[in-house]
Amino acid sequence: MSKAAALSSFVQSTPPGELADVTKAIKSILGNDSVQNELEPAFQTYNEEQFSTTKLPGSSNEVLVSPYNSLGDGVYYDVESQSSFKFDHATQKASNVQTYALESNHSDVVKSLVKSLGTHATEHYPKSSIGVYPVEDDSQLAIITVASKYSPSNFWNGRWRSQYIYTPSSGSMTGAIKVDVHYYEDGNVRLLTNKEVSLSVGSAAKAPEIIRKIADVERKYQEDLNKAFGSLSEGAFKSLRRQLPITRQKIEWEKISGYRLGQDIGGGRTR
Amino acid sequence: MADPIDSALDLLRRLNPKDVKANVDHLISLNPDLTEDLLESVDIPLAVRKCSKTKRDFLCCDYNRDGDSWRSPWSNEFEPTLEDGEGVTPSDRIRKMEVKANEAFDVYRELYFEGGISSVYLWDMDDGFAGCVLLKKAVNPTPKSSGSWDSIHVFDAQDRARTAHYKLTSTVILSLGTDSAELGGLDLSGNMVRQIEQDLAVDDDTSHVANIGKLVEDMELKMRNLLQEVYFGKAKDVVGDLRSIPPLSQTNRDRATQREMLSSIGR
Repeated sequence: MSKAAALSSFVQSTPPGELADVTKAIKSILGNDSVQNELEPAFQTYNEEQFSTTKLPGSSNEVLVSPYNSLGDGVYYDVESQSSFKFDHATQKASNVQTYALESNHSDVVKSLVKSLGTHATEHYPKSSIGVYPVEDDSQLAIITVASKYSPSNFWNGRWRSQYIYTPSSGSMTGAIKVDVHYYEDGNVRLLTNKEVSLSVGSAAKAPEIIRKIADVERKYQEDLNKAFGSLSEGAFKSLRRQLPITRQKIEWEKISGYRLGQDIGGGRTR
Repeated sequence: MADPIDSALDLLRRLNPKDVKANVDHLISLNPDLTEDLLESVDIPLAVRKCSKTKRDFLCCDYNRDGDSWRSPWSNEFEPTLEDGEGVTPSDRIRKMEVKANEAFDVYRELYFEGGISSVYLWDMDDGFAGCVLLKKAVNPTPKSSGSWDSIHVFDAQDRARTAHYKLTSTVILSLGTDSAELGGLDLSGNMVRQIEQDLAVDDDTSHVANIGKLVEDMELKMRNLLQEVYFGKAKDVVGDLRSIPPLSQTNRDRATQREMLSSIGR
């Protein structure tokens, strides 16, 4: 694998909120700071895929970047604040905020979706950013939610992402929900999930109806995910290693050679 | 700038633990000076080889490796056969202990893992000996879920009068996953590391095997509980911190009511 491919695989695998740490480590491993330019394309892919968020100067709200609201040359736009901004992919900081008026045949739907999605997000995500953007020549709408929480002092970070592509003409909606959790106190544990979603909402659906469908599918997913933790714990985890031997007693190591004679146990050939 | 090896270890603590082997390879190609330190200090899922003499599987790590060959704990011979020379094997006394330890941990493996593979390797040190206990198991409880457990216990034992001082570093690599239409893909993987030091009484070499057995057994019990807590408690809690199933306005109202009740009781 080439150097560039290795470096970009590191960036792609960066946990939520840890891009600066990963970049710092890469520079130290290579022993030079000039690798920054080489990393730039990987940073952009990462930020757009992860829906990285940033505060616009003078505002307390965080806006997101994605492939769907890119205007090219590192400039992105936000519907709610009607502004465009330059995004630095290495530092994840915004600058050069300008007024941006959305031009779309669906601008009314976009605005009411932003409003309904915003209400929904406030009800279920303690801290989130949302976006609705016309894509594919104004024939579809991308509906994005990203909720991140970073707690590096407690060695964990997490992110929930949902994205849906809604086609107004057919009323169909496809998308994916992804969860990424990193826990790294005395170790490195990662939860990565990906749930593909396909919904039909009807071509004349109003914004609140569309968002209700999204709300339902996300609630169901979180419930399923909670159940999955339980079944993995009771299933795969339990069958890997018992908490205690079937006798419910710890081993008497002084008598270990007698175990083989007393109990007809297999000799390492079983799997 | 930080020491490159510290940065490499910090990076590996952040990147997807599932890719640790590939990431170590990348790091070595980016900075070949790190090769030895990385191979020594990073635990990767254990590879399995078959002992051609006994037909039994054994586990491979840096401690039973010589070039591209690995020493079988069952035959004490390298697989594949070393082309030049015999390779390093333990002294007679340590090898005897190694045989006993392998028998003991084979029992341990069956009692706790009910399957899987175990291997113990020992080597001579100036003031005692050192070794590692390796255990590995993989399961597929349903066609849509899978799991694997690798434990790597590395220790040294310093001889003292009638006791020995044991230092144990344990890593468990635990990987769990499901893939189904309803839930989609889920991967929960990682590793956790713990260390302890302890002085234990020693009469003869049999006590060493028993002492190491107890240390590893206690450590794995502790780590199993810890893994349970982190994998199924912490990870789930963080998801709950990202997204709330009940509406937050309701949760906030409930909390306010609760606070009010508490303060009225206090009055």
